[in-house]
Amino acid sequence: MLWYKAWLETRTRFLISLAGMTALGCYRVWELDRNPEPWYKLDYYYFALRSGHQLITLMWIVAATLLLMGGLLREKALGVSSFTLALPASRRRLMGVRIGTGFGQGLVLAIVPWSAMFVTAALTGQARSIFQAWFSIVLLIGGGAVIAGVALLVSALIEGEYTAPMVSFGFAILCGNAPKSLEFVNPLGLMGGRAYLGGSNMLVRPIPWIHVTANLCVTAILVGISVKIVERRDF
Amino acid sequence: MTGALAIETEGLSKSYGSMHAVRNLNLAVKPNRITAFLGLNGAGKSTTIKMLLGIVKPTEGSGRVLGKRIDYPVESVELRRDVAFVTEDKNLYGYMTVEQIIRFTRGFFPGWRQDVAEELLRKYELPARRKVRHLSKGMRTKLALLLAVSRRPTLLILDEPSEGLDPRGIEQLLECLVAQCAEGATVFFSSHQIAEIERISDEVCIINRGSLVLDASLDVLRLNWRQVDLVFASLPDRGDFQLAGVERIRTRGQQMSLFASGNVDAIVERARDFHATAIDVSPVGLREIFLQSVEES
Repeated sequence: MLWYKAWLETRTRFLISLAGMTALGCYRVWELDRNPEPWYKLDYYYFALRSGHQLITLMWIVAATLLLMGGLLREKALGVSSFTLALPASRRRLMGVRIGTGFGQGLVLAIVPWSAMFVTAALTGQARSIFQAWFSIVLLIGGGAVIAGVALLVSALIEGEYTAPMVSFGFAILCGNAPKSLEFVNPLGLMGGRAYLGGSNMLVRPIPWIHVTANLCVTAILVGISVKIVERRDF
Repeated sequence: MTGALAIETEGLSKSYGSMHAVRNLNLAVKPNRITAFLGLNGAGKSTTIKMLLGIVKPTEGSGRVLGKRIDYPVESVELRRDVAFVTEDKNLYGYMTVEQIIRFTRGFFPGWRQDVAEELLRKYELPARRKVRHLSKGMRTKLALLLAVSRRPTLLILDEPSEGLDPRGIEQLLECLVAQCAEGATVFFSSHQIAEIERISDEVCIINRGSLVLDASLDVLRLNWRQVDLVFASLPDRGDFQLAGVERIRTRGQQMSLFASGNVDAIVERARDFHATAIDVSPVGLREIFLQSVEES
Protein backbone atom coordinates (compact mmCIF):
# COMPACT_ATOMS: atom_id res chain seq x y z
CA MET A 1 0.00 0.00 0.00
CA LEU A 2 2.93 2.35 0.58
CA TRP A 3 3.91 1.82 -3.06
CA TYR A 4 0.37 2.74 -4.02
CA LYS A 5 0.67 5.95 -1.96
CA ALA A 6 4.09 6.76 -3.41
CA TRP A 7 2.73 6.28 -6.93
CA LEU A 8 -0.34 8.45 -6.32
CA GLU A 9 1.85 11.11 -4.74
CA THR A 10 4.35 11.32 -7.60
CA ARG A 11 2.53 10.10 -10.69
CA THR A 12 1.60 13.55 -12.03
CA ARG A 13 5.15 14.89 -11.66
CA PHE A 14 6.58 11.67 -13.05
CA LEU A 15 4.31 11.34 -16.08
CA ILE A 16 4.67 15.01 -17.01
CA SER A 17 8.47 14.69 -16.71
CA LEU A 18 8.52 11.49 -18.74
CA ALA A 19 6.33 12.88 -21.50
CA GLY A 20 8.15 16.21 -21.55
CA MET A 21 11.64 14.72 -21.59
CA THR A 22 10.76 12.15 -24.24
CA ALA A 23 9.03 14.65 -26.48
CA LEU A 24 11.67 17.35 -26.16
CA GLY A 25 14.57 14.91 -26.57
CA CYS A 26 13.03 13.40 -29.72
CA TYR A 27 12.11 16.79 -31.11
CA ARG A 28 15.63 18.07 -30.52
CA VAL A 29 17.19 15.25 -32.54
CA TRP A 30 14.55 15.43 -35.27
CA GLU A 31 14.77 19.21 -35.53
CA LEU A 32 18.58 19.23 -35.61
CA ASP A 33 18.52 16.53 -38.25
CA ARG A 34 16.21 18.57 -40.46
CA ASN A 35 17.98 21.89 -39.99
CA PRO A 36 21.55 21.14 -39.02
CA GLU A 37 23.81 24.01 -38.21
CA PRO A 38 27.00 23.98 -40.27
CA TRP A 39 29.18 23.08 -37.32
CA TYR A 40 26.95 20.10 -36.44
CA LYS A 41 27.85 18.48 -39.74
CA LEU A 42 31.11 17.37 -38.18
CA ASP A 43 29.40 14.28 -36.84
CA TYR A 44 25.78 13.43 -36.35
CA TYR A 45 26.39 11.79 -33.00
CA TYR A 46 28.33 14.77 -31.84
CA PHE A 47 25.39 17.11 -32.14
CA ALA A 48 22.82 14.52 -31.20
CA LEU A 49 24.62 13.61 -28.02
CA ARG A 50 25.87 17.06 -27.14
CA SER A 51 22.52 18.63 -27.66
CA GLY A 52 20.02 15.86 -26.95
CA HIS A 53 21.94 14.38 -24.06
CA GLN A 54 22.53 17.75 -22.43
CA LEU A 55 18.88 18.64 -22.77
CA ILE A 56 17.85 15.34 -21.21
CA THR A 57 20.46 15.75 -18.45
CA LEU A 58 19.15 19.17 -17.55
CA MET A 59 15.54 18.00 -17.50
CA TRP A 60 16.50 14.85 -15.58
CA ILE A 61 18.07 16.92 -12.79
CA VAL A 62 14.94 19.05 -12.44
CA ALA A 63 12.61 16.03 -12.61
CA ALA A 64 14.59 13.83 -10.22
CA THR A 65 14.94 16.67 -7.70
CA LEU A 66 11.21 17.31 -7.76
CA LEU A 67 10.40 13.60 -7.55
CA LEU A 68 12.63 13.12 -4.53
CA MET A 69 11.15 16.07 -2.72
CA GLY A 70 8.45 15.01 -0.34
CA GLY A 71 8.69 12.46 2.40
CA LEU A 72 7.95 12.90 6.06
CA LEU A 73 9.45 16.36 6.45
CA ARG A 74 7.32 17.78 3.66
CA GLU A 75 4.34 15.93 5.11
CA LYS A 76 5.12 17.56 8.45
CA ALA A 77 5.00 20.97 6.79
CA LEU A 78 1.63 20.03 5.30
CA GLY A 79 0.38 18.58 8.61
CA VAL A 80 0.06 15.00 7.31
CA SER A 81 3.09 13.34 8.90
CA SER A 82 1.18 12.28 12.05
CA PHE A 83 -1.28 10.30 9.93
CA THR A 84 1.55 8.52 8.12
CA LEU A 85 3.55 7.86 11.26
CA ALA A 86 0.52 6.44 13.07
CA LEU A 87 0.28 3.68 10.47
CA PRO A 88 1.83 0.31 11.33
CA ALA A 89 4.91 0.88 9.17
CA SER A 90 8.44 1.59 10.32
CA ARG A 91 10.19 4.76 9.24
CA ARG A 92 12.79 2.63 7.49
CA ARG A 93 10.06 1.01 5.42
CA LEU A 94 8.49 4.38 4.64
CA MET A 95 11.86 5.65 3.48
CA GLY A 96 12.61 2.46 1.58
CA VAL A 97 9.45 2.78 -0.48
CA ARG A 98 10.11 6.43 -1.14
CA ILE A 99 13.70 5.79 -2.19
CA GLY A 100 12.63 2.83 -4.34
CA THR A 101 9.97 4.90 -6.06
CA GLY A 102 12.18 7.96 -6.55
CA PHE A 103 15.19 6.09 -7.88
CA GLY A 104 13.04 3.75 -9.96
CA GLN A 105 11.33 6.70 -11.58
CA GLY A 106 14.73 8.33 -12.11
CA LEU A 107 15.88 5.20 -13.90
CA VAL A 108 12.85 5.25 -16.18
CA LEU A 109 13.40 8.95 -16.85
CA ALA A 110 16.91 8.17 -18.02
CA ILE A 111 16.14 5.08 -20.10
CA VAL A 112 12.88 5.96 -21.83
CA PRO A 113 13.68 9.46 -23.18
CA TRP A 114 17.14 8.43 -24.30
CA SER A 115 15.84 5.28 -25.96
CA ALA A 116 13.11 7.31 -27.68
CA MET A 117 15.72 9.78 -28.83
CA PHE A 118 17.81 6.93 -30.21
CA VAL A 119 14.81 5.46 -32.01
CA THR A 120 14.06 8.88 -33.52
CA ALA A 121 17.65 9.12 -34.70
CA ALA A 122 17.42 5.58 -36.11
CA LEU A 123 14.22 6.48 -37.97
CA THR A 124 15.99 9.38 -39.64
CA GLY A 125 18.54 6.81 -40.72
CA GLN A 126 21.50 8.30 -38.93
CA ALA A 127 21.88 6.30 -35.73
CA ARG A 128 24.68 3.77 -35.99
CA SER A 129 25.22 2.11 -32.64
CA ILE A 130 23.00 1.37 -29.67
CA PHE A 131 26.15 1.48 -27.56
CA GLN A 132 26.00 5.27 -27.89
CA ALA A 133 22.62 5.30 -26.17
CA TRP A 134 23.66 2.76 -23.52
CA PHE A 135 26.84 4.73 -22.78
CA SER A 136 24.93 7.97 -22.29
CA ILE A 137 22.28 6.34 -20.08
CA VAL A 138 25.01 4.92 -17.82
CA LEU A 139 26.60 8.37 -17.54
CA LEU A 140 23.24 9.92 -16.79
CA ILE A 141 22.39 7.39 -14.09
CA GLY A 142 25.89 7.27 -12.62
CA GLY A 143 26.17 11.01 -12.10
CA GLY A 144 22.46 11.57 -11.57
CA ALA A 145 22.33 9.16 -8.65
CA VAL A 146 24.45 11.60 -6.60
CA ILE A 147 22.20 14.53 -7.52
CA ALA A 148 19.17 12.42 -6.52
CA GLY A 149 20.95 11.36 -3.29
CA VAL A 150 21.60 15.00 -2.41
CA ALA A 151 17.93 15.83 -3.13
CA LEU A 152 16.89 13.01 -0.79
CA LEU A 153 19.26 14.20 1.94
CA VAL A 154 18.04 17.78 1.61
CA SER A 155 14.43 16.60 1.85
CA ALA A 156 15.33 14.78 5.08
CA LEU A 157 17.06 17.85 6.52
CA ILE A 158 15.11 20.88 5.37
CA GLU A 159 11.45 21.43 6.11
CA GLY A 160 9.28 23.41 3.74
CA GLU A 161 7.61 22.78 0.45
CA TYR A 162 9.79 25.15 -1.57
CA THR A 163 12.98 25.56 0.47
CA ALA A 164 14.18 21.99 -0.02
CA PRO A 165 13.95 21.95 -3.85
CA MET A 166 15.61 25.37 -3.97
CA VAL A 167 18.56 24.07 -1.94
CA SER A 168 18.79 20.98 -4.17
CA PHE A 169 18.73 23.06 -7.33
CA GLY A 170 21.36 25.30 -5.71
CA PHE A 171 23.61 22.26 -5.34
CA ALA A 172 23.09 21.33 -8.99
CA ILE A 173 23.88 24.88 -10.11
CA LEU A 174 27.01 24.81 -7.95
CA CYS A 175 28.07 21.59 -9.66
CA GLY A 176 27.36 23.14 -13.03
CA ASN A 177 29.72 26.00 -12.25
CA ALA A 178 32.44 23.95 -10.57
CA PRO A 179 35.98 24.46 -11.92
CA LYS A 180 37.28 21.98 -14.43
CA SER A 181 39.89 20.75 -11.96
CA LEU A 182 37.05 19.21 -9.90
CA GLU A 183 35.59 17.39 -12.90
CA PHE A 184 36.28 13.95 -11.45
CA VAL A 185 34.33 14.57 -8.24
CA ASN A 186 31.60 16.56 -9.92
CA PRO A 187 28.51 14.38 -10.58
CA LEU A 188 27.40 16.81 -13.27
CA GLY A 189 30.71 16.26 -15.02
CA LEU A 190 30.00 12.54 -15.28
CA MET A 191 26.37 13.09 -16.26
CA GLY A 192 27.20 15.54 -18.99
CA GLY A 193 29.98 13.26 -20.21
CA ARG A 194 32.23 16.19 -21.01
CA ALA A 195 35.29 13.97 -20.82
CA TYR A 196 33.80 11.52 -23.28
CA LEU A 197 32.01 13.76 -25.69
CA GLY A 198 34.87 15.87 -26.95
CA GLY A 199 35.35 16.38 -30.66
CA SER A 200 38.27 13.98 -30.67
CA ASN A 201 36.91 11.20 -28.49
CA MET A 202 33.20 10.93 -29.17
CA LEU A 203 32.24 8.08 -26.91
CA VAL A 204 34.94 5.84 -28.15
CA ARG A 205 36.28 5.19 -24.70
CA PRO A 206 35.05 2.28 -22.57
CA ILE A 207 32.31 2.99 -20.05
CA PRO A 208 33.96 4.52 -16.96
CA TRP A 209 32.70 1.90 -14.53
CA ILE A 210 35.04 2.93 -11.72
CA HIS A 211 33.82 6.50 -11.88
CA VAL A 212 30.21 5.34 -12.04
CA THR A 213 30.71 2.92 -9.12
CA ALA A 214 32.33 5.66 -7.03
CA ASN A 215 29.32 7.87 -7.66
CA LEU A 216 26.92 5.08 -6.73
CA CYS A 217 28.86 4.52 -3.48
CA VAL A 218 28.53 8.22 -2.63
CA THR A 219 24.81 7.92 -3.37
CA ALA A 220 24.50 4.92 -1.06
CA ILE A 221 26.14 6.93 1.73
CA LEU A 222 23.79 9.86 1.15
CA VAL A 223 20.79 7.52 1.20
CA GLY A 224 22.03 5.84 4.40
CA ILE A 225 22.47 9.20 6.13
CA SER A 226 18.99 10.31 5.01
CA VAL A 227 17.39 7.15 6.44
CA LYS A 228 19.22 7.59 9.76
CA ILE A 229 18.14 11.23 10.01
CA VAL A 230 14.50 10.36 9.42
CA GLU A 231 14.62 7.44 11.87
CA ARG A 232 15.92 9.68 14.65
CA ARG A 233 13.84 12.75 14.01
CA ASP A 234 10.78 13.93 15.96
CA PHE A 235 7.76 14.82 13.86
CA MET B 1 3.75 -1.03 35.53
CA THR B 2 1.02 -3.54 34.91
CA GLY B 3 -0.01 -5.07 31.62
CA ALA B 4 -3.72 -4.61 32.24
CA LEU B 5 -3.78 -0.93 31.43
CA ALA B 6 -4.36 0.36 27.91
CA ILE B 7 -1.87 3.17 28.37
CA GLU B 8 0.70 3.49 31.13
CA THR B 9 3.61 5.86 31.37
CA GLU B 10 6.24 6.25 34.03
CA GLY B 11 8.14 9.51 34.38
CA LEU B 12 7.53 10.30 30.71
CA SER B 13 9.23 13.56 29.78
CA LYS B 14 9.94 15.50 26.63
CA SER B 15 12.14 18.57 26.40
CA TYR B 16 12.98 20.76 23.44
CA GLY B 17 16.16 22.49 24.58
CA SER B 18 15.29 24.27 27.81
CA MET B 19 11.54 24.00 27.19
CA HIS B 20 9.86 21.12 29.00
CA ALA B 21 6.82 20.07 26.97
CA VAL B 22 6.03 17.08 29.19
CA ARG B 23 7.42 16.47 32.67
CA ASN B 24 7.49 13.26 34.61
CA LEU B 25 4.09 12.13 33.38
CA ASN B 26 2.56 9.06 34.99
CA LEU B 27 -0.53 8.07 33.08
CA ALA B 28 -2.69 5.03 33.75
CA VAL B 29 -5.53 4.65 31.28
CA LYS B 30 -7.90 1.80 32.00
CA PRO B 31 -9.06 -0.45 29.18
CA ASN B 32 -12.59 -0.33 27.77
CA ARG B 33 -13.22 3.13 29.18
CA ILE B 34 -13.53 6.59 27.67
CA THR B 35 -10.79 8.76 29.10
CA ALA B 36 -10.67 12.48 28.45
CA PHE B 37 -7.31 14.20 28.37
CA LEU B 38 -7.67 17.84 29.30
CA GLY B 39 -5.27 20.72 29.37
CA LEU B 40 -4.81 24.31 28.32
CA ASN B 41 -3.24 25.11 24.96
CA GLY B 42 0.43 24.13 25.07
CA ALA B 43 -0.08 21.96 28.16
CA GLY B 44 1.59 18.98 26.49
CA LYS B 45 -1.41 16.93 25.32
CA SER B 46 -0.39 16.55 21.69
CA THR B 47 3.24 15.87 22.58
CA THR B 48 2.14 13.16 24.99
CA ILE B 49 -0.07 11.55 22.35
CA LYS B 50 2.73 11.70 19.80
CA MET B 51 5.10 10.04 22.27
CA LEU B 52 2.57 7.27 22.85
CA LEU B 53 2.51 6.58 19.11
CA GLY B 54 6.26 6.78 18.55
CA ILE B 55 6.01 9.97 16.47
CA VAL B 56 8.06 11.88 19.05
CA LYS B 57 10.76 10.24 21.15
CA PRO B 58 10.68 10.75 24.92
CA THR B 59 13.64 12.51 26.52
CA GLU B 60 13.16 10.49 29.70
CA GLY B 61 10.85 7.90 31.14
CA SER B 62 9.04 5.02 29.57
CA GLY B 63 5.60 3.99 28.51
CA ARG B 64 3.50 1.12 27.25
CA VAL B 65 0.48 1.16 25.01
CA LEU B 66 -1.50 -2.09 24.93
CA GLY B 67 1.47 -3.68 26.67
CA LYS B 68 3.99 -2.64 24.00
CA ARG B 69 6.90 -0.33 24.75
CA ILE B 70 6.52 3.00 23.00
CA ASP B 71 10.22 3.75 22.69
CA TYR B 72 11.10 0.48 20.89
CA PRO B 73 10.60 0.96 17.14
CA VAL B 74 9.58 -2.66 16.46
CA GLU B 75 7.04 -2.74 19.32
CA SER B 76 5.82 0.72 18.34
CA VAL B 77 4.96 -0.55 14.85
CA GLU B 78 3.16 -3.56 16.39
CA LEU B 79 1.09 -1.43 18.75
CA ARG B 80 0.00 0.79 15.87
CA ARG B 81 -1.73 -2.21 14.30
CA ASP B 82 -4.25 -2.03 17.16
CA VAL B 83 -4.39 1.72 17.64
CA ALA B 84 -6.28 4.28 15.60
CA PHE B 85 -5.24 7.90 15.79
CA VAL B 86 -7.22 10.95 14.71
CA THR B 87 -4.78 13.82 14.50
CA GLU B 88 -5.30 17.33 15.75
CA ASP B 89 -5.29 19.06 12.34
CA LYS B 90 -7.08 16.21 10.49
CA ASN B 91 -4.93 16.75 7.43
CA LEU B 92 -4.88 13.74 5.16
CA TYR B 93 -3.27 13.12 1.78
CA GLY B 94 -4.74 15.86 -0.39
CA TYR B 95 -3.75 14.14 -3.63
CA MET B 96 -5.91 11.08 -2.89
CA THR B 97 -9.64 10.81 -3.36
CA VAL B 98 -11.81 9.66 -0.46
CA GLU B 99 -12.07 6.14 -1.88
CA GLN B 100 -8.32 5.99 -2.57
CA ILE B 101 -7.41 6.90 1.00
CA ILE B 102 -9.89 4.32 2.29
CA ARG B 103 -8.30 1.68 0.02
CA PHE B 104 -4.83 2.78 1.13
CA THR B 105 -5.60 2.63 4.86
CA ARG B 106 -7.48 -0.67 4.53
CA GLY B 107 -4.30 -2.32 3.27
CA PHE B 108 -2.62 -1.97 6.66
CA PHE B 109 -5.34 -3.57 8.74
CA PRO B 110 -6.40 -7.19 8.17
CA GLY B 111 -9.42 -6.73 10.45
CA TRP B 112 -10.73 -3.83 8.39
CA ARG B 113 -14.53 -3.58 8.46
CA GLN B 114 -15.63 -2.56 5.01
CA ASP B 115 -19.29 -2.63 6.10
CA VAL B 116 -18.52 -0.01 8.77
CA ALA B 117 -16.57 2.09 6.26
CA GLU B 118 -19.43 2.01 3.75
CA GLU B 119 -22.01 2.77 6.40
CA LEU B 120 -20.04 5.77 7.68
CA LEU B 121 -19.38 6.94 4.14
CA ARG B 122 -23.15 7.15 3.65
CA LYS B 123 -23.91 8.49 7.13
CA TYR B 124 -21.29 11.25 6.92
CA GLU B 125 -22.23 12.00 3.29
CA LEU B 126 -18.63 11.84 2.14
CA PRO B 127 -18.14 12.08 -1.64
CA ALA B 128 -16.10 9.00 -2.54
CA ARG B 129 -14.55 10.43 -5.70
CA ARG B 130 -13.65 13.85 -4.35
CA LYS B 131 -10.01 14.67 -3.65
CA VAL B 132 -9.27 15.02 0.05
CA ARG B 133 -7.80 18.49 -0.55
CA HIS B 134 -11.23 19.66 -1.66
CA LEU B 135 -13.00 18.52 1.52
CA SER B 136 -13.96 20.95 4.29
CA LYS B 137 -12.32 20.54 7.69
CA GLY B 138 -15.49 18.99 9.08
CA MET B 139 -15.57 16.45 6.26
CA ARG B 140 -11.89 15.67 6.76
CA THR B 141 -12.58 15.07 10.44
CA LYS B 142 -15.38 12.67 9.54
CA LEU B 143 -13.15 10.91 7.03
CA ALA B 144 -10.38 10.60 9.65
CA LEU B 145 -12.93 9.12 12.04
CA LEU B 146 -14.12 6.67 9.38
CA LEU B 147 -10.53 5.57 8.74
CA ALA B 148 -9.96 5.16 12.47
CA VAL B 149 -13.11 3.27 13.34
CA SER B 150 -13.21 0.93 10.33
CA ARG B 151 -9.86 -0.65 11.25
CA ARG B 152 -11.51 -2.10 14.38
CA PRO B 153 -9.03 -0.62 16.87
CA THR B 154 -8.42 -1.84 20.39
CA LEU B 155 -7.45 1.70 21.34
CA LEU B 156 -8.75 4.86 19.74
CA ILE B 157 -6.70 8.00 20.35
CA LEU B 158 -8.16 11.30 19.22
CA ASP B 159 -6.58 14.72 19.46
CA GLU B 160 -9.29 17.35 19.72
CA PRO B 161 -11.68 15.39 17.50
CA SER B 162 -14.64 17.77 17.63
CA GLU B 163 -12.70 20.78 16.37
CA GLY B 164 -14.17 21.97 13.08
CA LEU B 165 -17.35 19.92 13.38
CA ASP B 166 -20.84 21.39 13.30
CA PRO B 167 -23.30 20.44 16.11
CA ARG B 168 -24.63 17.50 14.08
CA GLY B 169 -21.11 16.30 13.39
CA ILE B 170 -20.25 16.58 17.09
CA GLU B 171 -23.31 14.52 17.94
CA GLN B 172 -22.29 11.84 15.45
CA LEU B 173 -18.76 11.86 16.83
CA LEU B 174 -19.90 11.40 20.42
CA GLU B 175 -22.26 8.60 19.40
CA CYS B 176 -19.43 6.94 17.54
CA LEU B 177 -17.05 7.12 20.52
CA VAL B 178 -19.64 5.68 22.90
CA ALA B 179 -20.39 2.90 20.39
CA GLN B 180 -16.69 2.10 20.07
CA CYS B 181 -16.37 1.79 23.83
CA ALA B 182 -19.48 -0.40 23.95
CA GLU B 183 -17.84 -2.69 21.39
CA GLY B 184 -14.84 -3.11 23.68
CA ALA B 185 -12.44 -0.42 22.50
CA THR B 186 -10.63 2.00 24.78
CA VAL B 187 -11.08 5.64 23.87
CA PHE B 188 -8.50 8.26 24.86
CA PHE B 189 -9.17 11.75 23.59
CA SER B 190 -8.06 15.28 24.20
CA SER B 191 -10.56 18.09 24.03
CA HIS B 192 -11.37 21.59 25.20
CA GLN B 193 -15.10 20.93 25.05
CA ILE B 194 -15.97 20.30 28.70
CA ALA B 195 -19.66 19.69 28.00
CA GLU B 196 -18.81 16.87 25.57
CA ILE B 197 -16.36 15.35 28.02
CA GLU B 198 -18.92 15.40 30.80
CA ARG B 199 -21.41 13.64 28.53
CA ILE B 200 -19.36 10.67 27.47
CA SER B 201 -16.24 10.28 29.61
CA ASP B 202 -15.67 7.75 32.34
CA GLU B 203 -12.26 9.04 33.37
CA VAL B 204 -10.55 12.41 33.28
CA CYS B 205 -6.85 13.21 33.18
CA ILE B 206 -5.82 16.84 33.46
CA ILE B 207 -2.38 17.94 32.39
CA ASN B 208 -0.87 21.36 33.03
CA ARG B 209 2.53 22.61 31.96
CA GLY B 210 3.50 19.09 31.05
CA SER B 211 2.57 17.50 34.38
CA LEU B 212 -0.45 15.44 35.35
CA VAL B 213 -2.47 17.35 37.94
CA LEU B 214 -5.56 15.19 38.13
CA ASP B 215 -6.45 11.62 37.25
CA ALA B 216 -9.83 10.45 38.45
CA SER B 217 -13.08 8.90 37.42
CA LEU B 218 -15.77 11.40 36.48
CA ASP B 219 -18.18 9.68 38.89
CA VAL B 220 -15.71 10.14 41.74
CA LEU B 221 -15.26 13.80 40.83
CA ARG B 222 -19.01 14.32 40.76
CA LEU B 223 -19.42 12.52 44.08
CA ASN B 224 -16.61 14.12 46.03
CA TRP B 225 -15.87 17.57 44.68
CA ARG B 226 -17.89 20.31 46.30
CA GLN B 227 -17.96 24.03 46.74
CA VAL B 228 -18.62 25.03 50.36
CA ASP B 229 -19.78 28.62 50.90
CA LEU B 230 -19.67 29.84 54.47
CA VAL B 231 -20.76 33.08 56.15
CA PHE B 232 -19.38 34.04 59.55
CA ALA B 233 -20.14 36.79 62.02
CA SER B 234 -16.41 36.99 62.53
CA LEU B 235 -14.27 35.54 59.76
CA PRO B 236 -11.88 32.87 61.08
CA ASP B 237 -8.29 32.51 59.95
CA ARG B 238 -7.82 30.71 56.60
CA GLY B 239 -5.36 28.38 58.29
CA ASP B 240 -8.17 26.96 60.41
CA PHE B 241 -9.69 25.49 57.26
CA GLN B 242 -6.56 23.99 55.72
CA LEU B 243 -7.99 20.50 56.07
CA ALA B 244 -7.39 17.44 53.95
CA GLY B 245 -9.33 17.74 50.70
CA VAL B 246 -9.44 21.52 50.67
CA GLU B 247 -8.04 22.61 47.32
CA ARG B 248 -8.64 26.35 47.48
CA ILE B 249 -9.91 28.95 49.93
CA ARG B 250 -11.22 32.37 48.97
CA THR B 251 -12.48 35.05 51.34
CA ARG B 252 -14.56 38.12 50.70
CA GLY B 253 -15.88 40.24 53.58
CA GLN B 254 -17.46 37.84 56.05
CA GLN B 255 -17.73 35.09 53.47
CA MET B 256 -15.42 32.17 52.90
CA SER B 257 -15.61 29.93 49.83
CA LEU B 258 -13.86 26.58 49.83
CA PHE B 259 -13.24 24.26 46.92
CA ALA B 260 -12.90 20.70 48.16
CA SER B 261 -12.04 17.39 46.54
CA GLY B 262 -13.43 15.49 49.52
CA ASN B 263 -13.73 15.51 53.30
CA VAL B 264 -16.74 17.84 53.09
CA ASP B 265 -18.24 16.58 56.35
CA ALA B 266 -15.14 17.61 58.27
CA ILE B 267 -15.18 21.04 56.62
CA VAL B 268 -18.82 21.56 57.58
CA GLU B 269 -18.05 20.38 61.11
CA ARG B 270 -15.17 22.88 61.33
CA ALA B 271 -17.47 25.64 60.04
CA ARG B 272 -19.96 24.84 62.79
CA ASP B 273 -17.16 24.97 65.36
CA PHE B 274 -16.51 28.54 64.19
CA HIS B 275 -20.24 29.36 64.42
CA ALA B 276 -20.88 29.81 60.72
CA THR B 277 -24.16 31.64 60.21
CA ALA B 278 -24.74 30.05 56.79
CA ILE B 279 -23.39 26.86 55.26
CA ASP B 280 -24.06 26.00 51.65
CA VAL B 281 -22.60 22.89 50.01
CA SER B 282 -23.05 22.64 46.26
CA PRO B 283 -21.74 20.24 43.60
CA VAL B 284 -19.21 21.52 41.09
CA GLY B 285 -18.91 20.83 37.40
CA LEU B 286 -15.91 19.62 35.48
CA ARG B 287 -15.26 23.14 34.19
CA GLU B 288 -14.67 24.42 37.74
CA ILE B 289 -12.57 21.39 38.62
CA PHE B 290 -10.49 21.87 35.49
CA LEU B 291 -9.96 25.58 36.11
CA GLN B 292 -9.16 24.93 39.75
CA SER B 293 -6.66 22.22 38.82
CA VAL B 294 -4.76 24.30 36.28
CA GLU B 295 -4.78 27.42 38.45
CA GLU B 296 -3.65 25.56 41.52
CA SER B 297 -0.77 23.85 39.75
